[in-house]
Amino acid sequence: MNNKYKARYRQDNLMKSLVYAFSSVGAIFLFLIVYYVVTTGISLVSWDLITGDSRAINTSVVVDTTAGPYPLSIELEEGIFYSTKWGIGLVEGTNREGNTIVEVGYVHPNSPFNNAVDQTQVDEDGNPIIWQLEAGINVITGFTDTDFFITQDGPERIVEKLEAATVIERFTIQQEGGGIRGSIITTLWLIGMTLAIAVPIGVSSAIYFNEFAKYSRATKIIRSMVDLLTGVPSIIYGLLGAGLFVPILNSTLGTAGGSVIAGALTLSVILLPTIIKSTEEALKVISDDLRKGSLALGASKTQTVFQIILPNAVPGILTGVLLGIGRIIGESAALIFAVGAAIKDDIILTERATSLAVHIWTVMGGEAPNYELASAIAIIILGVVFVMNFMVKQIASKLNKATY
Amino acid sequence: MDKIFELKNIQLHYGTNHAIKGINMDIERNKVTAFIGPSGCGKSTFIRILNRMNDLIPECNIEGDIYFEGQNAYAKDYDVIELRTKVGMVFQKPNPFPMSIYDNIAYGPRCQGVKNKAQLDEIVEQSLRRAALWDEVQDRMKDSALSLSGGQQQRLCIARTIAMEPEVILMDEPTSALDPIATQKIEDLIVELKELYTIVIVTHNMQQAARISDNTAFFMLGELIEFGPTDKLFANPKNSKTEEYITGRFG
Repeated sequence: MNNKYKARYRQDNLMKSLVYAFSSVGAIFLFLIVYYVVTTGISLVSWDLITGDSRAINTSVVVDTTAGPYPLSIELEEGIFYSTKWGIGLVEGTNREGNTIVEVGYVHPNSPFNNAVDQTQVDEDGNPIIWQLEAGINVITGFTDTDFFITQDGPERIVEKLEAATVIERFTIQQEGGGIRGSIITTLWLIGMTLAIAVPIGVSSAIYFNEFAKYSRATKIIRSMVDLLTGVPSIIYGLLGAGLFVPILNSTLGTAGGSVIAGALTLSVILLPTIIKSTEEALKVISDDLRKGSLALGASKTQTVFQIILPNAVPGILTGVLLGIGRIIGESAALIFAVGAAIKDDIILTERATSLAVHIWTVMGGEAPNYELASAIAIIILGVVFVMNFMVKQIASKLNKATY
Repeated sequence: MDKIFELKNIQLHYGTNHAIKGINMDIERNKVTAFIGPSGCGKSTFIRILNRMNDLIPECNIEGDIYFEGQNAYAKDYDVIELRTKVGMVFQKPNPFPMSIYDNIAYGPRCQGVKNKAQLDEIVEQSLRRAALWDEVQDRMKDSALSLSGGQQQRLCIARTIAMEPEVILMDEPTSALDPIATQKIEDLIVELKELYTIVIVTHNMQQAARISDNTAFFMLGELIEFGPTDKLFANPKNSKTEEYITGRFG
């Protein structure tokens, strides 16, 4: 190697290895986060989690009192305690909240537990509801009989008492809750409504600043304020939501406290600077030659903006929308004030609810933080983000006139 | 002489920079008028006065009288959009819109409210034929205009201007970004088009001015040094600066 270049090669290699080192640190951290979340939460991710109710259904049922025996014809899994007299096997388990419960492990085909009639409710036509106790789904929380059983007894003790009982008058079952359907729906509503409010306002503002506004002190001040707003912590926007939007909505729509609509309004304000900035950047890179070309053809300024400039800015605007969606999904602080942290199953837009991110906050905020459920929700969030990114990119490639 | 433009004592300032210093000029209808001169002499600024493109530049002040077809083009009640439909412009760098070839041509008429498909089809075909581009693109009207070569793009821009049925076509160094063959085609086109339109062309290339123009104006430092029939100006320049420039002693 020529001596003349040795020092330069050394310097080049040093800079190159620094770049590689730092970028791999970044990649490793990203990988670790995803790895932790996936390994911790994947066992809880199921269709039930996504579509299930968050609230557990507690109900009381009666069964036919004809006792067995119902001898087992199959081998039960380990851990299931079987009551031959009543034809039901019980097993210990944990629910999504991490509490110990007693689950139904097996029901004999002829067991009276196949015809458990609900005592507390009837169906829409007024007929009694028959609960099919299925293995793993319904959870026994207690019995009433001549003796009284509770979950804390554990499955073995409960089966002993069942064997001793001559009649079962009533017992209570619980259908497991802990589903996050309500939070997913709230999050999707927030994304939809926020974008519907913030995108038209943000894009119009950017067009005004970049295409129509004359350079003046006032526009300069407004622009630097927009820059400033991107750096404001979101909890301050949450205060705005709680102090401005919530009272306004309370007096106009008659909401009580936080609501999904108040959340969407708050998020819109958070999103505006991002959308304005990214749209402005997109407008700035559009060549002046196109503007001149259009104006020289006798097109008006407005025609030029809407038919030439805006279609070419769509990819940049969609980048802003993507960032915005990320911000909506990730926002928690502002939403605690504006939407609340009430985990719900049926979402009403004028009532409190909770988004996925706040749901994680709730799950982790109790006395016993539930890392598994939090990670499972995190996986769902990653999924939502992935789907949204994919959709926006599809739309972008459809609308992208720049690569026409 | 049939004058389409009459310019009287034009002064133009960019802020404090006095870019055009008292120019008087008449531009003849259906002739090719070439503007030549060294860089920074004001010839591009001057051509932009003719379709009021300088309006877009902040702090640009224009004084003097500019009559287009006998009307004051800078009068308050004169519609700049109408002026630009009658005085089209082709730029130095081909600037087709990022849309299909067809839409590029149809853009101008559509902006004027032409919606009829058959009428648009006719305008597009006629414009492309006049710009000598029809044979090359007739089978790919839906293709992106950006897929065309540089020379084709420039002829597309000319066709786009023709689609407005203008009186005048301004060309600001239309061939300076093109190779010699594409340049040749544009030059041939200009000579054909002068039957129908008045053409004003800014060029750095003196041979080009000599080849295609009927009248030539020589600018220097914001002043009009000499203006007259091209053959006379090149054969017998009256001004010594013109002579020095066209014989290549500076510029």
